[in-house]
Amino acid sequence: MSSFKTVWRIAVREIREHGRSRSFLITTGFTFLAVAALIVVPGLVGDGTSEYSVGSIGDGNEPIVAAAEQLGNAAVEPGSDPSVSFELETFDDRAVAEAAMESGELDAILVDGTEVVVESVGGFGDSPVLSLLQQGAASVELEAIVSESGDAAADVIAVMTSDPLETSTLSGQEAGDESRGAVAYAGLLLLYMAVLLYGNWMLSGVTEEKSNRVVEVLLSSVRPWQLLAGKIIGIGTLGIAQFAGTITIALVAVQMSNTIELPSLDAGLVANLIVWFVLGFLLFAVMYGAAGSLVSRMEDAQNVAFPMTMVVVAGFFVSIAALSDPDGPTALIGTFVPLTAPFVVPVRAALETIPAWQYGLSVLLTSGAIVGLVFVAGRIYAGGLLRFGTRVKLRDAWRSAGA
Amino acid sequence: MLALADLHKRYDDVAALSGCTLQVDRGRMLGFLGPNGAGKTTAMRTIFGLVTADSGQVTWDGAPITMEQKRRFGYMPEQRGLYPKMKAHDQLTYLGRLRGMEQKEAAASADQWLERFGLAERRLDRVEVLSHGNQQRVQLAAALVHDPELLVLDEPFSGLDPIATETMADILREETVKGKAVVFSSHQLDLVEDICEEVAIINAGRIVVEGNVRRLKDAAPIRHLELELDGDIGDLFDTLEDVRQIRSADGSHTLIIDAGSDIRGFLARAQQVGRVRHFTYTSPSLSDLFREAVR
Repeated sequence: MSSFKTVWRIAVREIREHGRSRSFLITTGFTFLAVAALIVVPGLVGDGTSEYSVGSIGDGNEPIVAAAEQLGNAAVEPGSDPSVSFELETFDDRAVAEAAMESGELDAILVDGTEVVVESVGGFGDSPVLSLLQQGAASVELEAIVSESGDAAADVIAVMTSDPLETSTLSGQEAGDESRGAVAYAGLLLLYMAVLLYGNWMLSGVTEEKSNRVVEVLLSSVRPWQLLAGKIIGIGTLGIAQFAGTITIALVAVQMSNTIELPSLDAGLVANLIVWFVLGFLLFAVMYGAAGSLVSRMEDAQNVAFPMTMVVVAGFFVSIAALSDPDGPTALIGTFVPLTAPFVVPVRAALETIPAWQYGLSVLLTSGAIVGLVFVAGRIYAGGLLRFGTRVKLRDAWRSAGA
Repeated sequence: MLALADLHKRYDDVAALSGCTLQVDRGRMLGFLGPNGAGKTTAMRTIFGLVTADSGQVTWDGAPITMEQKRRFGYMPEQRGLYPKMKAHDQLTYLGRLRGMEQKEAAASADQWLERFGLAERRLDRVEVLSHGNQQRVQLAAALVHDPELLVLDEPFSGLDPIATETMADILREETVKGKAVVFSSHQLDLVEDICEEVAIINAGRIVVEGNVRRLKDAAPIRHLELELDGDIGDLFDTLEDVRQIRSADGSHTLIIDAGSDIRGFLARAQQVGRVRHFTYTSPSLSDLFREAVR
């Protein structure tokens, strides 16, 4: 029987057994749901009008609220629902108004058109009511000044809410390409999770075969590298299917909910993600597989994989740095280090800041590293598999396979 | 024919094999005996290249064993191992396919063996839910599913009840009659004596006794003597020359003595001590040979 056939049969078993296992089906379903929910739900919640109740004590509050409402709705196209609306409630007593705010009925209190009371400031996710009222007050004041010089109030508002400056970039991105950053970030997050998740499948798959000793039966009729290769292909195929499924769900959800503008999410960007998913998965799967062969018990597996997990986490942070400064030295070095390239390069590519030669060289270097690792890890795997009991030292595994 | 020739293997400061040599012909069943740690498992693993000997050769029909050839062997490791979450039938089919069978052929063979072991109704059960004995049956089926030329079984009888032992023994006999070479290790010496014509006893990494069980027993320089006697035995046994072993319990005594001892004189002296209720003088059992060999 040819090696190809052997590897294929091993891969098919992985796909069949893993693919119909409850844990796989549950994680897949959960991932799909979570991704869809993450995209769709904010769209649903964000839709419609935010209503604010403002308490009013004394005079001079109405124009501020009116201006705030106008400012808040400046970006809304005529004919559609307003995005904010204010409701003014008059109080005679400040203490009563404050009590109403504490019980949650009021979002803010205006006093004599000169003071605004809110419950607290500086928290995460502050209500925009404070800044809208401040802007409203400013524009009322401005209006008072300019009305003396004869200009109409509406013109003032129009000037204040006019389009920002026209933006262009040196890299030739078009307006709307800001979303590339978001896409790169989302893709990076997915890659990171995928490498960790599928790397751990490899790890536990290999350790499992060792812990239940089936490996001795297997190795009586197949070679260690065939077993490793079959496992990587099998788990990789499932991983790509799950990964592609997740991306598809995300795209469909985005299309349907219209929450994010994706003018630049083209086939190239998706292909870029897939290429680096494959490279990143292979790179780490080989290492996780070798690590798994060193231990006989599932409890030990995480320990032995810890250094690799650290590398993955480090790669993730390097690429976060690359995201904020895609042409900086960190990003450049990360591009040519195979262990970080799978995280850094797709980000730079998505941001369109990587020259073609760097991209190509990085793919070559990473592929070369994978080939080298297959040799090294394959030998460690072969040496580790049949040494049961305590954790096998790397050097011993290497030596015993060479014997 | 399987041949292990002068195998040596050291693990750091422990010699696992030191000159292990044995043969198994097609159509023969070899009982492979030895105390714990004598090198049985190591020797069996060398056949599959799971252990690489430091020196010596393992051959099948005179040629070194290739991966292709290994796929025509069946192996049951001492530490049983199957995928716990895989269904019995899927598992056997998969292992058949790994050894080169096509899907249909492997599936049919898996069913046939499950049937033979009385597990036809459990074919879709995951291995982990089967009882220990049934898991062991599936494990043996895994070694048999691809109709191998050679069966290497490490302690196939351990943990089986008498009925299961019987079935397992029957199957091994059948496979031998079909022309397979069978080698299995065991500590159940009576059983081995029962079903094997040939045995090899390994001690401290080398084969110390090897050959046809009956001939070994006849040729042995020792005899097995059992005696039950009323009365005080006193120094009766001291009158026998070359007593190698004595085991006594409840007035019943089992002795291993040299083949040349004066047995008539001993019986006469015993009768003077008291009433002899039981007296047998036979060639040694396999257990006797084993104890002598590894002493």
